[in-house]
Amino acid sequence: MKERKFSTRAVHTKFLKEDPHGALHMPVYENVTFEFKTAEELELAFLGRKPGHMYSRISNPTVENFELRLKELTNAAAVMALSSGMAAISNLILAIAGSGDNIVTSKHLFGNTFSLFEKTLKDWGLETRYCDLTDTKRIAKLVDSKTRAIFFETITNPQMEVVDVKALAKIAKESGILLVADTTLTPPYLFDSREFGVDVEVLSSTKYISGGATSVGGLIIDNGTYNWSKNRKLASDAKKYGPFTLLNRLRREVYRNIGACMSAHTAFLQSIGLETLALRIDASCANTLAVAKALEKLGHIRSVNYPGLASSPYYKLAKRQFGAKPGGLLTFDLASKKECFKFMNALKLIRRATNLNDNRTLILHPASTIFCEYDAKLKKEMGVRETMLRLAVGIEDNADLIDDIKQALGGL
Amino acid sequence: MKIKVNGKDKTIDVSSLTIAGLLKTDNVANPEQVSVQLNGEFVDRQKFADTRLKDGDAVDFLYFMGGGE
Repeated sequence: MKERKFSTRAVHTKFLKEDPHGALHMPVYENVTFEFKTAEELELAFLGRKPGHMYSRISNPTVENFELRLKELTNAAAVMALSSGMAAISNLILAIAGSGDNIVTSKHLFGNTFSLFEKTLKDWGLETRYCDLTDTKRIAKLVDSKTRAIFFETITNPQMEVVDVKALAKIAKESGILLVADTTLTPPYLFDSREFGVDVEVLSSTKYISGGATSVGGLIIDNGTYNWSKNRKLASDAKKYGPFTLLNRLRREVYRNIGACMSAHTAFLQSIGLETLALRIDASCANTLAVAKALEKLGHIRSVNYPGLASSPYYKLAKRQFGAKPGGLLTFDLASKKECFKFMNALKLIRRATNLNDNRTLILHPASTIFCEYDAKLKKEMGVRETMLRLAVGIEDNADLIDDIKQALGGL
Repeated sequence: MKIKVNGKDKTIDVSSLTIAGLLKTDNVANPEQVSVQLNGEFVDRQKFADTRLKDGDAVDFLYFMGGGE
């Protein structure tokens, strides 16, 4: 049968088991534990020989339904839902790497991800090697026998840089190293990570998927393309679990022990969000392009950075990788930090808040917020300017957004 | 035909049985979710219907996602 399209599948994914009342939404199993008829059945469930939820920190029917819906939409080998996007990254890294290992990435990262690598995980012996991921020759020189992953963001936040994913995948494959993409800005529907050679996706489902900032969540999506016997830490597991090596290590160790599980209520909210994902992404991307084009023509604006603009150095690459919809985030520069603050304070419709892919349009001054813990030198290396504002464009009528921007600029 | 299923000896009365057939005759719960190992090697789900079992085979059913019963 012809494969159905994204939104159809998002809405019509069948439950694993028929609901006794014929409910069309998966009920919220806001429940901790699950009873078994016999001690023998309980033992089999703990051994993984019998399907059954034991404890909601490990698995839960509502969360599982959300995971299965994502699995159906992405054709992934496995999907795990976690308490946040940062939990997805930290659980993945803890599962694949240990003390003395390294990962290769760029300093052009979300500020909290950089902090996780450079502060939290560094103290436990993980080395992070930074380079310009658009310079593939440089990447190959940093990779060695202890490199466990090449990690990148499909569109970097807030630098709006786009890397050539197929070029990265070529290096990763040649070196036998896992390629991990943070696809928060380009979730499933915008980007087919498997087609471009990504092995594992991590993303914050708090953003687009949650349905408008209803709840905090994260996802690990394993495309099933990596040979886990090439990872020193997981090589012995790979002999036993083959393509399910990462899933097994997460579910039966790291995810279980760290306890960063998604709640049933969050899974319910995000399952509903998933059903309208494509509609909201289409609206947000169209608005972002309209606002970006308008900004380019306005006074006071020093530069506008959005991969969907023909003026972006990443325009052609973004089009190849994400089609005509390179996400709902843009940045623009004013003359100074003082001018940025004055502009933000004059906005009447656009909200001053730190999130993205909310239904509302949100504005942030990255240098004084997400990146406030870093000094001026590091901010420069991270591509975070004092003159830069980040606009996460929502689903409002874009004429109203442009009017608000114009009136706020008028006060400068 | 004698095989081992999840570590336990089992005698099969039919002369020919595939993994897909075993999932049915054994009433394996949530067959769409189960992962199958044949003599220690995972079998691609697409090959369940074509993989025939033989005397002495060891079959293991594993679940990674829970599932409920």
